[in-house]
Parts: sequence; structure tokens; C-alpha cells
Amino acid sequence: MSIKQTRLAGVAIFAGFVTCLAPPPHAAEITPPATIYAHVCGYCHGTNVGPIILGKHIAVDVIKLYVRKGPNAMPAFRPTEITDAELDALAQWISVSQPSPTEHGQ
Amino acid sequence: MMTNKYLALPPGISEANFDLAIAEFTAILGADRVLISEDLLKPYTKIMIAEPTEKHDPSAALIATEVAEVQKILKVCNKYRVPIWTISTGRNFGYGSAAPASRGQVILDLHRMNRIINVDPVMGTALLEPGVTYQQLTDYLKDNKIPLWLSCPAPSAIAGPVGNTLDRGVGYTPYGEHFMMQCGMEVVMANGEILRTGMGAIENTTAWQVFKWGYGPYLDGLFTQSNYGVVTKLGTWLMPAPPAYKPFCIRYENETDIHDIVETLRPLRMANIIPNAMVFASAIWEAAALFPRTKYYTGKGATPDSVLRDMIKAEKLGAWNVYAALYGTKEQIAVNWDIITNVVKASGKGLIITEEEAGDTQPFKYRAALMRGDMTLQEFGLYRWRGGGGSMWFAPVAQARGAETLKQMELAKSILNEHGLDYVAEFIVGMRDLHHIVDVLFDREDPVETAAAYACFDKLLSEFAKRGYAVYRVNTAFMDKTAALYGSTKQDIERSIKHALDPNGILAPGKSGIYL
Repeated sequence: MSIKQTRLAGVAIFAGFVTCLAPPPHAAEITPPATIYAHVCGYCHGTNVGPIILGKHIAVDVIKLYVRKGPNAMPAFRPTEITDAELDALAQWISVSQPSPTEHGQ
Repeated sequence: MMTNKYLALPPGISEANFDLAIAEFTAILGADRVLISEDLLKPYTKIMIAEPTEKHDPSAALIATEVAEVQKILKVCNKYRVPIWTISTGRNFGYGSAAPASRGQVILDLHRMNRIINVDPVMGTALLEPGVTYQQLTDYLKDNKIPLWLSCPAPSAIAGPVGNTLDRGVGYTPYGEHFMMQCGMEVVMANGEILRTGMGAIENTTAWQVFKWGYGPYLDGLFTQSNYGVVTKLGTWLMPAPPAYKPFCIRYENETDIHDIVETLRPLRMANIIPNAMVFASAIWEAAALFPRTKYYTGKGATPDSVLRDMIKAEKLGAWNVYAALYGTKEQIAVNWDIITNVVKASGKGLIITEEEAGDTQPFKYRAALMRGDMTLQEFGLYRWRGGGGSMWFAPVAQARGAETLKQMELAKSILNEHGLDYVAEFIVGMRDLHHIVDVLFDREDPVETAAAYACFDKLLSEFAKRGYAVYRVNTAFMDKTAALYGSTKQDIERSIKHALDPNGILAPGKSGIYL
């Protein structure tokens, strides 16, 4: 049985209760970068905790390295939290982003 | 040791035997859920504690998504005597993060086992898998318009209720003592059997998440801060959203006011007039939410008291800052608010600040969010205070008695300052206890400061123990020492239980100082 089929079986068992299944780490469906940014990165970056990263044109590879390594005070994010495919899209999205007027700090 | 193939090997396991174990793990999970390369394991090695990273390098990480997979993995671990370190969301900031207690353990990453199995809006209960984050749960409640509130620790969004509860973490709402609000769990035992605790053992029960005790010995506690099983489901109670909510701050001018704060507010907490796990935050804790310490001090060592006094004055901070909240109907809140303001006024000190007066300012805003279980990571400003990513929580328990808090504060501050480090602390108020949470912050990029932080933590544990104080939870560098401080009888019993439940010692050796 494939992983995807296994997950669907899980849904069936808990039908009526489960609404919040996350895809397995290698699923084709990925969480959009804007959602990941809002639910993870944006709690620190742009709130006067971590440095502002939107609109700074940071290189994609640098972003990916930081996310996986977690330099200094930054947490490291594992592939179970942000998949490789999600990270590719997220790093690209951040790299070409415009500054956000709602963010503040350094 | 590091090999060409592996970042580390489990102690006592040859590379050839580990190859065999990895092959069996791969057969269970598929190659993409068995991580062995240094590159893929990198995020699992990030730690904040004052020990070399290499000391906590894993040999591999396994990504399980089903209970049946966990059972099969444990069978392989027993066969090859491979130690396995289970993580849920893998946060545990300042307590060891996702890394194992000792080099070479295999990490069992359950973050992708993240089903919200059931939320009962009527009973205010939830049954969750280990990988569920607070963000995921709060989104679920909002999407489904379920009027229940969470209680979460400060790194809420990216941490999760199962791991936090199992490590007996605390939050800031009336449900802030999370293990007290836990009800029922499912555990995969080392031999692969599945235990459901409390009422969960009864077929077709509807009471698993409403009655904690079941029948006979209460077992749930055995699976917290321990290595006796792998918890794959956990029940918890959620707080009905109150019709009204009133967070407030009381600011105190002097460090020694901590004595009077406790004496003034303890009766209100014990009478449930202040119902939540309120906090008393020190000046630096407040300041760190706003700016790094370089704004006021660029020297080495501890920040001088004179600088702190100037900072407190300039930034209008309290030397201690109480955050508490009222929950209920407007009428209930009005009655309790009168009592509180009268008690504070009668005490002769303390400046009360309401939400209206604080407006949109920090740190009030994030404290108000935490006391209603909302998502925020504002408190990560603590890690910017000194920079360099070093943090270890020193968390001794105290009686909620003024003389005790004063004594603990003075002792902690003197030991920290002696090692060139700052006293950055909050007291979280339980029913009768205080969790005295001290963030031992240091520059982990600086080997001298890192060594000082290690020595400081070691001395904090020893000196507090001499006076009858011990921590409620500790980072992976100091678990053995802490277990020893709790005494040999307790350790012997814990070892006996370990022998009975995990005779090959495969589950997280060293967790809370427990080995075969």
C-alpha cells in the first residue's frame, strides 16, 4: 500500500472527526509559501523579534540553509515541518518578495 | 564515532549491524522517511544548550505517520538494540530541542503523525496525535467555529500540546498546568503492545477524555518526562471561551518587591479570584521583548545593576511585572476587579495597567495573547537579548511564599552574575507553587561564555539543592545530575520500572536520568 493510500485509510477510520490531516512529507500537495510565512516565519520576522526578510532579495540558497540550520537564535526546521518542496517554494517566494507595510522592527 | 555513511553510530552497535537495522527501517517506512545523511539530519542537531553539538548528534531520523509503523520500528530496535529518541513537534527550546540525550540515538520523528482525532465542543475535550501544533489546533477551532481556548507555552505556534504536556510544560491560562488538564493517552510499549490509559481500556467507552483516573493505579504519569513508552495519542481538556476577558499588568518598582507581590497575590490565586497561571516577569524579560541589551550595555559580563536601573526608568518598565487576567461574565469580572484593585491599593505598592491603558504596546500585547492561548512568538526576543543562540532554562520550584521567592531570586542572581550572566526570570504561579523560570542566556558562538554557562547551570543546581530546591524539568545536559539530586531510592524504582517495561533499554536511554 502506498503512503498516500495509507493516509486515506486513516481518514476513513476517523471520518466525521478528522479535518486537519497534514500531507506526508513527500506528498505532491504543498502548503503555499504565504501560509507557511504567516504561520511560522512571520511570528518573528517583521515583529521586532527576528530581522525583516521580506523585500530584502535574500538569495534562495541562503534562505534554505538558514531554515534547515537555524543559525544563532533561529530555530532549525525539519523536513517534517517544512518539506523540501515547500522550502523550495518558500525560499523563492521570500527572495522575490516586496517589503510588507505591516511589518516592523529591524 | 562518525563513519563515511553515518553522522554517528548508536553506542555498542557495529556499522554492519546498523546497516541491517537501517535496511529494516527502510522496508517499513520507505527510503525517503529514513534520514541518514549529515545534510538531512542538520535540523535535528540544532541545540541551544552549553554542550558540544556532536555530543547530541543522532545516527538517523525516522519519520513515522502511523501507530503500526511505530510498533514495527520498536520491534527492529529491540532486535538490534538500537536506542530511539522520540520527538513530537521537536521543539523543547532550551531543554535540548529535537536532539537526543546522547550521541548515536535514532530519532523517531512523529511530527507527521498529526491528526486532530476528535474535538468535542460540548465536553471541551480533544484527542490529538503527537505532531499536532498549537497553530494547527487553533486553526481547527477557528475554522470549525468551536468556542474553546487553548493553553500554550510561549513558543506556541510551532510547538505542540502532546510534547509539551508529556514534558509537563505550563501555559498561562486557567488551564496552565497542562498535565493536570490531560485526560487519557495511548502508548506503544517497547514490546509493541498498545496501552490505552484511564477509561481508554474499556471497549466502546465514551469517557476516555472526561475521567482521568480509570481503575487501579493511575498510569499516565509514568509516561511523562520518562522513557517507558511512545505516546501516540493524548487527550486534553480545552477551556470554554469566556464571554469576557480582562488581562492586566501590575508594575512594581523594586527587585525586592517580589516578596510583597507573592504575599499580596497568593490569596487571590488560591481563592480563584485570579484564576490563571499568572506570571511575575523580571525587568530584563520585559526588555528583551523590545530590544537587545546592546541598547544599554555593550560590555562583557553581567549587565550592571546601575545600567538596569537606568533602563527600567527610561523604558518605564517594572523591576517586576505581574501579568494576570480575569475570565467570565462582565459582572463576575467587575466583582473580582474591585477585589483585586482594593487589595493592590491596600498593599501600598504596585501600578495597575489595564488593556485600555497599554493599548497596542509590547510586551502587554503578547502577554494578553498568551493568557488567552493565542499564537505568538514574541518571547523569542529573549534570545536576542544577548545573541549567539545559547539558552538553558533553570526552573526550580518554590512555595508561593514571599520569603522563598526572595531567597531564590537573590541566590540565582548572585550565581548568574558571578559567571558573567544576567538574571532573566519569571515566576509562573500554580495553585500553591511557583515555577521560577530562569533563562540562562549566553553566546553559544563564544566558547568561554558557553563554558561559563555550563558551570553556572551546574552550580545553580547544586546550590539550590543545598537549600532544598530542585527543578521541575531540565535540559538534556543535566538530566543525570538532576536525577541524582532527587535521590537513589527514586532512581532505583525508576530503573526497576525500566527493566520491567523496556528490558532492552531501547527507549530514549538517559531521559530524566533513567537507564536500564
